[in-house]
Amino acid sequence: MASEKIHTGGSLLFNVLQQHGVEHVFGYPGGAIMPIYDALYDSDVKHFLCRHEQGAAFSAVGYARAAGKVGVCFATSGPGATNLITGLADALADSIPIVAITGQVPTSVMGSDAFQEIDIFGLSLACTKHSFQVTDINDLEKVLHQAFAIALEGRQGPVLVDIPKDIQIAHIVSQGNVVSTLKNKVNLPPANVGSAIAMLCHAKQPVLYVGGGVGMANAVDELRNFIDITNIPSVSTLKGLGAIAPEDENYLGMLGMHGTKAANLAVQKSDLLVVVGARFDDRVTGKLDDFAPNAKVIHFDIDQAEINKRRAADSAILGDLKTNLPALAIPLDIKGWQQECQKMKADFAWDYNHPGNTIFAPAVLKEVSDKMPINTCVTTDVGQHQMWAAQHMSFNDPSNFLTSGGMGTMGFGLPAAIGAQVSRPTDCVIAVSGDGSIMMNIQELATIKRFQLPVKIVLIDNAKLGMVRQWQDLFFQGRLSETDLSDNPDFVMLANAFDIKAKKIVAKEEVSAAIEEMLEHDGPYLLQVKIDAADNVWPLVPPNTANDKMMEST
Amino acid sequence: MNHYRLIIKADDKQVVLERILQVARYRGFLIEGINAQVNTGTNIGTIELMVRSERPISFLVDQINKLIDIKDVKVDTNTSQ
Ligand SMILES: Cc1ncc(C[n+]2csc(CCOP(=O)(O)OP(=O)(O)O)c2C)c(N)n1
Ligand SMILES: [Mg+2]
Repeated sequence: MASEKIHTGGSLLFNVLQQHGVEHVFGYPGGAIMPIYDALYDSDVKHFLCRHEQGAAFSAVGYARAAGKVGVCFATSGPGATNLITGLADALADSIPIVAITGQVPTSVMGSDAFQEIDIFGLSLACTKHSFQVTDINDLEKVLHQAFAIALEGRQGPVLVDIPKDIQIAHIVSQGNVVSTLKNKVNLPPANVGSAIAMLCHAKQPVLYVGGGVGMANAVDELRNFIDITNIPSVSTLKGLGAIAPEDENYLGMLGMHGTKAANLAVQKSDLLVVVGARFDDRVTGKLDDFAPNAKVIHFDIDQAEINKRRAADSAILGDLKTNLPALAIPLDIKGWQQECQKMKADFAWDYNHPGNTIFAPAVLKEVSDKMPINTCVTTDVGQHQMWAAQHMSFNDPSNFLTSGGMGTMGFGLPAAIGAQVSRPTDCVIAVSGDGSIMMNIQELATIKRFQLPVKIVLIDNAKLGMVRQWQDLFFQGRLSETDLSDNPDFVMLANAFDIKAKKIVAKEEVSAAIEEMLEHDGPYLLQVKIDAADNVWPLVPPNTANDKMMEST
Repeated sequence: MNHYRLIIKADDKQVVLERILQVARYRGFLIEGINAQVNTGTNIGTIELMVRSERPISFLVDQINKLIDIKDVKVDTNTSQ
């Protein structure tokens, strides 16, 4: 039992945060949240002042993903609250547990278009797993406990709690540890393991398709055990990267739009897909009707609504992957198929030969990956550099690769790296960014400076919104519309302005030494890597095309 | 186009109707009618929702079921067609 003490709403908030083990929060103050910031003054919770509320939300996401805990962010009412929305949407799309606390104008003036009043509760409906607006101080403690429980329960996600200013000031006696009673609504039917085992035994060409759910369920060990026993050829989604051991000989890499040729061909040929914590996203399936056309489907997921949503499951195994995966781990007799997949993997392995002296981004990212310390956490922004990182870097756990998957949000990488570094102060954290994306939350360099966070930034600079430029070249007859960034600022000067050491490289022979200098530097570092503006990401499955019809060059 | 009638039981929260309507619209179901009452004794609301869509109703039922304040969703098989 926590002590029965008279609290203000604000101090009660920190009391509950501490009960949930929250040590760090990311936020930005303002009028309607001042009583909470006043209570922070007396609290042991460490607050990281970001320089934009979107930065605070993404740092909370990065923190949650890197540490496997709930991330917490604060914002004031009105513009502070609306600035959180992109981060909440990102967390919803990638099922990340965060709790966002927003200040609100006092209840007496709510609904009167008061200064900095916005209906954030209404806005939250489409971009959170759940949300609360507390209009009675007696509800505050229970609501806050529920917010944490809901963020973590089942399929995880963001929860918003909107707290009017008078509630933050009101007095209340803490009721102690309120046990939140969440109903377990999903009446799980008995897992249909029998038919799934029969399908697995009969399959001649099964493929394991692994998604982000494995990391979220903390089921990496169970997954690897399943792979060790079955020796099944496997592929991963963007968010699943790290779940399968990268050195596994039957692992074929990422599937989908920018997946490896071996992964996509194996899936297309398969007669059984064992889908684990994945949701048949359109970036994964390409043309849905032509996706794995001959395969039956065994679908493991925690979310009933994902079963049969885009692809019918022949067998659905609903519930916790940690308990359900071992039930299907049986040795398989698929030697020929394994060899066929291994041959494709060898035949279509990445080729790092690249003519000329201009730097080849895939080779740089591979070298960073080979040289970075074990348990490095890599974040990315969105675009070509993101796909190159996914293709050419290796991760031994999903918590070591943080990328905006479902939402594809530019501006994610830098603040997510800040959150990751705060949660794992002794691990190396590297943000792989693009010259477009980094400008979307560039102000967070000030957060890095203030807290002396040793985040390394690898900036892949093509002076373009490269991914959009690639599509304009391939699918819009080269009509390059608004994708030129050749007037970007001098990034080395910019980093220096925030006391961050920086270097720009333009030629292949500079790469190795620069990577080593960056990794050895004791503090934040920005490495600007100039590449050819015309470089494309290959392979590419054009939109609404079957995954075996990938383009491999122009 | 298929027509469906859902009977939804939910905790009595002001926002619950808004959540259901938002999910129905977003998931591609046009709302043809709605009735809502609260049992003041139990504090449980009953919402009757008539919708139409090309999509199977299970798609909407699964999504409404995920809303935290929902207790139960039933498809009225007599009137749904
Ligand atoms: C917030 C946001 N706005 C727009 C987009 C669309 N978009 C996707 S990739 C991209 C270009 C990104 O440029 P850059 O960060 O330089 O990466 P590059 O593709 O050049 O490696 C854009 C504009 C997006 N994903 N997110
Ligand atoms: Mg670029």
